[in-house]
Amino acid sequence: MNSLSHMLPMLTSLDLSSTLAQGPLPAAMSTITLYHYLFTSAALFCIGLIGFLTRRNLIIMFLCTEMMFQAAGIALIAFSRFHLNHTGETFVIFILTVAAAEAALALALVVLLFRRKESLDASVWTELKG
Amino acid sequence: MDLPLSPILLFAGCGLGALGVALSMPRKSISPYIFGAILAGLAFGLVMLGLGLKNPESVPNIHFYIFSLIALASALRVITHPRPVYAALYFVMTILASSGLYLILSAEFMTFALIIVYAGAILITYLFVIMLATEAPSEVQSENLTEYDRVSREPIAATVAGFILLGGLTTLFAVGLPNLKPDDKLAAGDRQLAFMSKKVEPVLKQAGLLKDGEKVVASRVETTAYGSPKDGDTSLDAIKIKSADGKERLLPRAEWPANLKLSNTEGVAFSLINNHPGAIEIAGVILLMAMLGAVVLARKKVEMDEAALSAAIARQRAGGRGDDELGVDGPFARPGTGEGGVA
Repeated sequence: MNSLSHMLPMLTSLDLSSTLAQGPLPAAMSTITLYHYLFTSAALFCIGLIGFLTRRNLIIMFLCTEMMFQAAGIALIAFSRFHLNHTGETFVIFILTVAAAEAALALALVVLLFRRKESLDASVWTELKG
Repeated sequence: MDLPLSPILLFAGCGLGALGVALSMPRKSISPYIFGAILAGLAFGLVMLGLGLKNPESVPNIHFYIFSLIALASALRVITHPRPVYAALYFVMTILASSGLYLILSAEFMTFALIIVYAGAILITYLFVIMLATEAPSEVQSENLTEYDRVSREPIAATVAGFILLGGLTTLFAVGLPNLKPDDKLAAGDRQLAFMSKKVEPVLKQAGLLKDGEKVVASRVETTAYGSPKDGDTSLDAIKIKSADGKERLLPRAEWPANLKLSNTEGVAFSLINNHPGAIEIAGVILLMAMLGAVVLARKKVEMDEAALSAAIARQRAGGRGDDELGVDGPFARPGTGEGGVA
């Protein structure tokens, strides 16, 4: 537990300024710190995937795809901070664009399907396959 | 091999998390979702503690743990909550927590763009559609919940598949990340300041670096695709100043005042406009096509499926809902004439 006591001062520092980028070139981020963010992002992606596979409500299924977009966004921003480069942040703007376009189209489709079958159940459309 | 975390711990965490998520899935009998959520949270804590104890010198700020725990917990609730409205509200929580993660990664512009666009606009659209497309409740169904919301489809198989993916992804990250080095050539820095004469001028005046009659001239910043100057080109690290009689001098980087900084929004703007102008056009086309598609879909006349129609009529006869709900203007009006759908 020696390393835990070493960890504590860093954990208890509530000062955000130590992590926010400052000056022309802020402090570099170690790959381990990057790994923390990537783990969170991967976990969020997998929860979204599991939700997409298990839920039967069409709206929730599309909500889960939005969650996977969000996970990709966290990974992009983390890499952007790691390389001290704004390209990752720029691509999150395009994630937002695609998510908005997807939400508009998917929800229009869902409303259309709902009008036809009076149900949001994905499994009532199984006759569509092959 | 120097891994940031022992693989046994990683796989144990993944297995525990899979168990927790599988337990918290909605099912016909009472689902022990609180127990499952605690297990999944323990799994996350186990992995994070293992990471922190093995590499105590590079733990992230405590805000990271708070925000990612909130994000993952509410994400779990999104996929397990039987009511769609609550699931959408929990998703707002996920968005807010991940915007917190963006903030500690010093992406301030994207933080607020995310809250405004995602939590403010996209999620409201989802809530609208959830409220528009809700099945008329009947007496058989308990608490207004439909069967497909209460029972999940193949929870065990999906959870196993998802967590195998998680284990694979995180293992690959662990193997590959030690080889990744932050590239100094990629670092954007604040060289773009030489281009922003209007921002730079007042700061230089305040610092007394600008004599009377002198003006800052915007110098064209030649950048590579990554936003940094070409190799070995240090002339860009200077602000060009023009005096009243037309003489030019350079203010090198070392003499810039300390409070002259490029903000995050300016950096993102330079990256967007300077380096990815084509992507903006493509994004515009995507949005336009989505709008056209949504308009075409929404205008389409839909006739109700025969099975669904007879079910709706049966429900009406059974008196599940008042007559006003299925009146002449309702979606089931005049079956067979083709005018039933909403135009």
